[in-house]
Amino acid sequence: MAQNNNVKYSGNQVNLNTVKLTDVIDLGFLQKFQDDFAKGVGLASVTVDPTGKPITDPSSYIRFCDEYTHSTECGDKRCAESHRKGGEEAARTGKPVVYECHAGLIDFAAPIMLEGRLIGTILGGQVLTASPDEEKYRRIAKEIGVDPDEYVKAANEARILSRESIEAAANVLFLVANNMSKTAYQQLKLKAMVDVLSDNLHQVSATMEELAASATDISGNQANLNDEIKNVNAVTGKIDEVMDFIKDIADETRLLGLNAAIEAARAGDAGLGFGVVAQEIRKLSADSKETVGKIKDLTTIIKISVDKTVHMGSETTCTIEQQAAAIEEVTASVEEITSLTEQLNDLANDM
Amino acid sequence: MSIQLVVFALDEEEYGIDVSAVNGILRAKKFKIQGLPGTGNAVEGMINLRGKVNYIFNLRSKFNLIEKEISEESKFIMLNVNGSTTGCIVDEVTDIVKLNDDEVQSAPGFINSCTTNCITGIGKIDDRMIIILDPEKIFMEEAIEVNCNA
Repeated sequence: MAQNNNVKYSGNQVNLNTVKLTDVIDLGFLQKFQDDFAKGVGLASVTVDPTGKPITDPSSYIRFCDEYTHSTECGDKRCAESHRKGGEEAARTGKPVVYECHAGLIDFAAPIMLEGRLIGTILGGQVLTASPDEEKYRRIAKEIGVDPDEYVKAANEARILSRESIEAAANVLFLVANNMSKTAYQQLKLKAMVDVLSDNLHQVSATMEELAASATDISGNQANLNDEIKNVNAVTGKIDEVMDFIKDIADETRLLGLNAAIEAARAGDAGLGFGVVAQEIRKLSADSKETVGKIKDLTTIIKISVDKTVHMGSETTCTIEQQAAAIEEVTASVEEITSLTEQLNDLANDM
Repeated sequence: MSIQLVVFALDEEEYGIDVSAVNGILRAKKFKIQGLPGTGNAVEGMINLRGKVNYIFNLRSKFNLIEKEISEESKFIMLNVNGSTTGCIVDEVTDIVKLNDDEVQSAPGFINSCTTNCITGIGKIDDRMIIILDPEKIFMEEAIEVNCNA
């Protein structure tokens, strides 16, 4: 579970391109697995990072290596060089490699790969496939500067295994380590995706909230607009009332003109001048009436326009309501997806 | 010689009455007509004009035209006949015109022979033809009827 915490802690900051072995395999587990494996199979082993630096403590190192070969600077360097070579070969082939080390022991290197990239190597071995050749070890002892007698004695302590056994053991380590890394890596990827998904969902959620809020705003504005338009209609109605009044005055004026004309006519020649005035009055009233008619035409156009606007306004209101409903639906869906994402996250953490 | 006519409309037709017989024009909508029981159809009723009772005649009944409600534009033409002022309902007073004698054609004999007919002639202005009425005769028949019933 430690690795889960690790992943959770680093969250989506884990760069999948630079994932380290310790990011995907719990070190404590690896150490235990390596120790138990070494004890069970009788093969020493250690896990190193791509630069060759050990990540775990060595498991079941034999005296030959631990007390003699590594004891001098020269021996230690030659060991490191030998490990590097084995590791490189393993990384190049992407498969476990079994080889003879500089001191004549049989070693193996099992690469741990992630998508073709080396993230670590399990090194091991320190065994022989046949009884040690005494002369060879005396020579090596002299080269690295240790007591040849003790060195040969230690070499004789090395376990003898068939090459097939060594290869099989290396393969087991290779398969287990790689599968574990791969699974953990996939889990990391899944987690990263879930995090991105979750982030995006939060954004969608926030946007939906904004949308819902603006829909409410629009709805309010539209209601105000509808009220204002109704006011325009009321004012237009009042204008019509005024126009009726003016028309009435015009009618009255016309009548006045007619009656004046009649009076003038009856007055004979004396009424001629007055008759002209009467005619002018009639003309004026006719003009007034015509103007009233024109204004009424205009107010009628305003009324039609207002009616259309009101109609469109209610259509808009309807559309806004539909939008609000749609937003609610989307919000519900987003909530559902969010819940699924949480489950997915739990699942990723449990793997 | 010339005559001056007050021109009014009933349906699409134009009629004229000598201006000297016209007392004045009123807007029909401004008055309430009170019916007179037992009188002929042509008598619409009476109105109170500045404290005096005036009778109103319906020319549509007299001329056998289709009855029509009094509208916004309807007018009463008040005529001075037989020593009193009596009104007629018309659709609208359209004009006051002056016609020379040559613009007036007398009513033909077949109309004139009938004593109760009130058409005295036809006035012509361009394409317009104005039926000129004799104000005295408009109310003659009704006057008799009213008398009979009394």
